[in-house]
Order: sequence, then structure tokens, then C-alpha cells
Amino acid sequence: MSAISDIGDKTGAALAASVKWAAGIIDPPLRWLQKKAGFNGMAAFFLAPNMLIFGIFILVPMVINFAYSMTGGGALFLPDRVFVGGDQYGRLLTCSDYSRPITCTEDQFWIAVRNTAIFVVVQVGLMIVLALTTALVLNKSLRARSFWRAVFFFPVLLSPVVVGLIWRWILQRQGLLNYILFQFGIEPTVWLTDRFWAFVAAVGVSIWAHMGFYALILLAGLQAIPKDLYEAAEMDGTRPARVFWRITLPLLGPNLLVVLVLALIRAVQIFDEVFVLTGGGPGTSTLFITQYIYEIGFASVLRNPGLAAAASILMGAVLVVLTLIQLGVGRRKDPKEAAK
Amino acid sequence: MSQITLTGVGKSFGAVQVLRNIDLDIKDGEFAVFVGPSGCGKSTLLRLIAGLDTPTLGDIRIDNADVTRTPAADRGLAMVFQSYALYPHMSVKQNLAFGLENSRMPKAEIEERITEAARMLEIGPYLDRRPGQLSGGQRQRVAIGRAIVRNPVAFLLDEPLSNLDAELRVSMRAELAALHKRLKTTMIYVTHDQIEAMTLADRIVVLRDGRIEQVGAPLELYNKPANRFVAGFIGAPNMNFLPAKVEEPGGEGFFADVLGESRQAVRANAAAVRADQPITLGIRPQHLRLARENEDGVEVEVNLVEALGSETVVHTTAGNGDPVLAVLQGQRPFNAGDRITLGLDPENLHAFDETGLRLQGN
Ligand SMILES: Nc1ncnc2c1ncn2[C@@H]1O[C@H](COP(=O)(O)OP(=O)(O)OP(=O)(O)O)[C@@H](O)[C@H]1O
Ligand SMILES: [Mg+2]
Repeated sequence: MSAISDIGDKTGAALAASVKWAAGIIDPPLRWLQKKAGFNGMAAFFLAPNMLIFGIFILVPMVINFAYSMTGGGALFLPDRVFVGGDQYGRLLTCSDYSRPITCTEDQFWIAVRNTAIFVVVQVGLMIVLALTTALVLNKSLRARSFWRAVFFFPVLLSPVVVGLIWRWILQRQGLLNYILFQFGIEPTVWLTDRFWAFVAAVGVSIWAHMGFYALILLAGLQAIPKDLYEAAEMDGTRPARVFWRITLPLLGPNLLVVLVLALIRAVQIFDEVFVLTGGGPGTSTLFITQYIYEIGFASVLRNPGLAAAASILMGAVLVVLTLIQLGVGRRKDPKEAAK
Repeated sequence: MSQITLTGVGKSFGAVQVLRNIDLDIKDGEFAVFVGPSGCGKSTLLRLIAGLDTPTLGDIRIDNADVTRTPAADRGLAMVFQSYALYPHMSVKQNLAFGLENSRMPKAEIEERITEAARMLEIGPYLDRRPGQLSGGQRQRVAIGRAIVRNPVAFLLDEPLSNLDAELRVSMRAELAALHKRLKTTMIYVTHDQIEAMTLADRIVVLRDGRIEQVGAPLELYNKPANRFVAGFIGAPNMNFLPAKVEEPGGEGFFADVLGESRQAVRANAAAVRADQPITLGIRPQHLRLARENEDGVEVEVNLVEALGSETVVHTTAGNGDPVLAVLQGQRPFNAGDRITLGLDPENLHAFDETGLRLQGN
């Protein structure tokens, strides 16, 4: 025991000495700098590396992207491009009948917008219901609860490409699912080349991949609701449905709102796993906005970086609105806090 | 009308036995207080009565009807939680109405009951506020109000005052006593504060390690504690204990040799003891006095003197190193290091045998 603490003491002393030695070396230049730059200058000095990275990889690309959206032609480098003003936005937004994407100049964009809108509503709606159900079940004193929690959270850790590949392997024509169905004598379906089933697969796979994350947030919210409240309700003879609607749901409200906004933001951006799974097909049935941007900007033969940039600015605007809502939501007071 | 009877009640959580063999009879309209140190099982016992937990052994009856397996809601009891457990997202009024709405009570009657409870507890002005916008004392009243509107056959209160500051606790204590007088409903009250227990209770149930140590009226427990634990637990400051040995049992009692230095008469059943039996003598700090000249007392050394004006609290050490606390009337000019002799009066002496049981009959 004392030998161990002795070793601990020695290691500590050695560590402290080396830190002291390092500090002794960088101390003089830093002192000199502070004398030169002043107190606030030092703050700027320490913030600089972070701001530099943020600037190079986020701020500058954003500005350049905006600049691209005001230019036309197929040239890749900005100086070679022609300034066209708002023409790209005009092209994206021109339709003779807004209810029919076919009549739009950029019909692919509108198909992608419509697909994304349907996807967002269906995927987010279903996923929240499923995540809430999962959280409610996990919140019961279930045997091996942490095991189940891990099972539901596991897909969140997978890379989207891996998710897409796994499910393609399961759903493709000669995939696992059809094999199993065949064993039961059920006619195989070509899941990923059927317009309806491919969309269902896109929704289902993205729910599978992300639900665990939201279930975990909701589970944390459920566990923060004081047990006393349920016991008080039990003493009052409150029926389970009423407990859910009048106590659990309102107290989970702030968490649900956070989950809703986060899920919306991610659903609007849906791309990688679906692209790997279906490639946007069959036809355009699982073509979403990000994929449209990617294809117009980089992949198609007649690539049009200006148009892609304009589309991404429009999508960015939607995301900014959602993010602002999320920030607003995050500031609201949680009634659960008052119960403690 | 509501009499609550527990017979042979036991409760285990897995291998841990938390309550054993509890027999208890709480009379109609009685204010019963469960008291005991932290972790002794008070809350568990209350939750068994409430129906929030089921006993592993024994049965619970309310007015002679077996309710051991009856759901909490059907027992007609109301509970006030230590945390108040008010629904934070509902107004005070909604909090009061919530339980009544469950039983599909007509709106007018709900309204009437809320008005009555609000008047009684003076929470009328806050009916539209949320619990988060109330002070601790106001929340406490709302919690009690939520119990009152249900018109229960008995109230169960688990340390309802422990979240309040000292001053508020005293005034709420008085209000609770008044409320009980007025409603005349059975109340079971859990606390670890023995002053609350003494002031509120018709009868106190002292618990320790999941067992009942003694049940009785406050003064009964104070004057005739059934064992050393109750003697030490009830009364503030705590009773002093001194080791002693029986000498010459006979007649009305026996003489005891205290610390080998003093001989004291003890009134007790002499037949229950034998010569040289080691016993413990207990005496409350307020019952100690300075020994008269030539009186055979116990000599102690003064460590600390707290002069409170009307009385003087003297912390001392006896010959065997045990601490002895004396509360002496008036002002005494002692200093640390002084040696003083304390006198013991037979009528204030409590004697306990080796197992801690009271030697003097009831
Ligand atoms: N659900 C449970 N599972 C396991 N042990 C429990 C459970 N509830 C209570 N206990 C144990 O039972 C014992 C009694 O608990 P209880 O809450 O009844 O004590 P208490 O007398 O109310 O204490 P306090 O004055 O601190 O509130 C404690 O040792 C506690 O650890
Ligand atoms: Mg307790």
C-alpha cells in the first residue's frame, strides 16, 4: 500500500518537474508577447489557431460558394467563370406550375425537393414515435437494460457508407431478405428497384441508423422526470394513458423538441447511406437535395457548379432557420428542473 | 372511520430485509408518528401502507378490510411526499384537480372542494401559479391541499417539513396540528426529527433497523423508555449513560455502584436483577444537578461551558472517559478543567440491563 503510494508520489513529482521545465521554456516568450500585445491581445493569440481552421474550412468556403452561385458556365475555377447575378437562383425557382415538378426548368431539383419533403415528414415522424417507444420500454425496469440500450445505440456508431452497404447486402435482389422470404415460400421482391419499396428502404434504413441516438436523448429525459410524480399519480388512481398524456409527454416536451429539430436538420441533409443503398433510384424515386447538388456540381457530364452552389445556398437557408429554432428551443426553461 | 392494522409485516428488497415482523394498530383519528434514524425503514413502512410497495410478509388492513394487495388508488389514502411531487407543468389549481378528475367527479364539486381547501390553507391567491413560482412553504401547502381535496380516510406524510427552514418548520408544525384537530382524520407522519414527533404525535412509533422498538404516547416514551435505544433517541439533548453494577438487590429496588465511585439507589424490580450484574444507568442532562455537600455523586471534569442565560450547558467527562452532558438551571461560573460533582435523583434514573432493556417495570 505504502509502496504504491510511494510510486504514485514519485511519478507525480516527475510529472510536475517536466511540466515545470516545459513551462519554464515557453514562459519568457509568452511574457514578452503579453507585454507587446496586451491582455486582450493574448486572448486573440490563443483563439487564432481555432479561428484559422474555422475560417479556412468553413467561413471561406461559404463565401466562395456564394460567389460560385452568382456565376455560370462549366469552368471550375472562379476567375474563369462568368458573372450571371441571380440567374442560377432564377433557373432553380422557375416553374410554370409549382405543383408539378415536370413543368420546372430544373425539374430534377424540384423532384429532389419534393422527395426530400416527403422523406423529412415520414422519416422524422416515424423515427420520433419509434425512438419514444424505445425509450419508454427501456425506461421500464427491464432486465439487461444497458445491453438493450447498447443494441439500439450501436447503428449510430456505424459510418453511413457501412450502413448503406449492409442494407444493400440485405435488400438486393439476391440478398438476405429475399433468401429468408424464399425459405418461407414467399415470392422474392426486388426491393431496391421498386419505386415504392426503394423509398421505404431509404426511410427505414435511415431510421435504423439514427434512431438510437434520439432514443438515448429521450431516455435521459424520461429518467430526469422525478419518480415521485408517478407515485403521486398512482396514489390518485391515474390511468396509464392519462399519465402518459398529462405527465410524461408534457415533461418530456423540451427533450422532444430538441429531438425534433435535430432530426429535421439531419433529415434535410440525407445523402450518404441512401446514395450507397439506392443511388437515388430507381429513376429519381430516392433522389434527395444533397444528391442533386452533388450530381449537378461534380458528377454529371454537363456539370454546373453555379447551379449546385445556388441550390446549396437555398438548402443552407432552410437549415439556418431550423438551427435558429433549435437554439431558441435550447434556451427555454425545462419544467423538470422546477420539480426538483 | 379508519383504523389501520399491520400484522407481521415484513419487507425485503432482494436479500436485504428492510422491515421485520411489524405489528401495529393505528386508531381512527389518531396522529401517529414514525420516528427513527435514517435508513431504519420509516419511508418503506409508509409506502407499504400507501400501496406503493407490497410487503413480502404479513398483511395490512384498513377498517378490517385486507388491503395488502389492493392498488394504492383504491385504499382511499392520500400521501404528501417529502419532495411535494407537485406536477411542475400544471397550475396549482390543476394540481389540486388532477386526482379528482381521475374519478370523473362533476366539475362543480371539484371546484367546490378546491375552493374549500384553498380557503383552509390560504393558497387562494396562488391558484393560477405554477409550483415553480411558489415559495417552499406555499408548495408545502399545495401538497397538503392536494391530499385534502381527495377527502382521504387517512393522510400519509413522509417528512413533509424537512425541506423548509427552521422557522417555517415550526409554524407549519403548528398548522398541521391544527389541521388534524379540525379534520379529525387519521394521520401517519414520518420524521427523523424527534421534536416534531414529540409535539405532533398522539402516539409515537420508534423504529430501528426495520423493527419497532417502542410504541407509546410522547411522554410515556420520555418517562419510561422501553430500552436504551429509545431512551437515547427521545429527548434532547440525548440521555447520558453510565456503566454501573448491581449491589444488594432487595425490597423496593437495589443499590448500584456507578463507576466504582458512587453508590446510587435505583427504584426497580429487585427480583429481576442479581448481585454484581453489570447494568447501564441513564439520566437526562436536565435531570442532573450539582451534588449537595457530602452527597454521594459522580465526579466529572468540565470541558466546555455554554452559558445560555437561563441555563448552563456543561460538557464534561466522567472518570471512565465517557462524556456526560449536564443542563444546569441558572448561570454557573465554571471553567474548563474544573472538577465538579453531579447529583443523581432516584426518580430520574433509568436502569437498563446488559441487553439494553429497561429494568424498571412499566
Ligand atoms: N427500492 C429499494 N431497494 C433496495 N433497498 C431499499 C429500497 N428502498 C429502500 N431500501 C433500503 O431500505 C432501508 C430503509 O429505507 P427507508 O427509505 O425506508 O429509510 P428511512 O427510514 O425512510 O430513512 P430516511 O430517514 O433517510 O428517509 C434503507 O437501508 C434502504 O437502503
Ligand atoms: Mg425516508
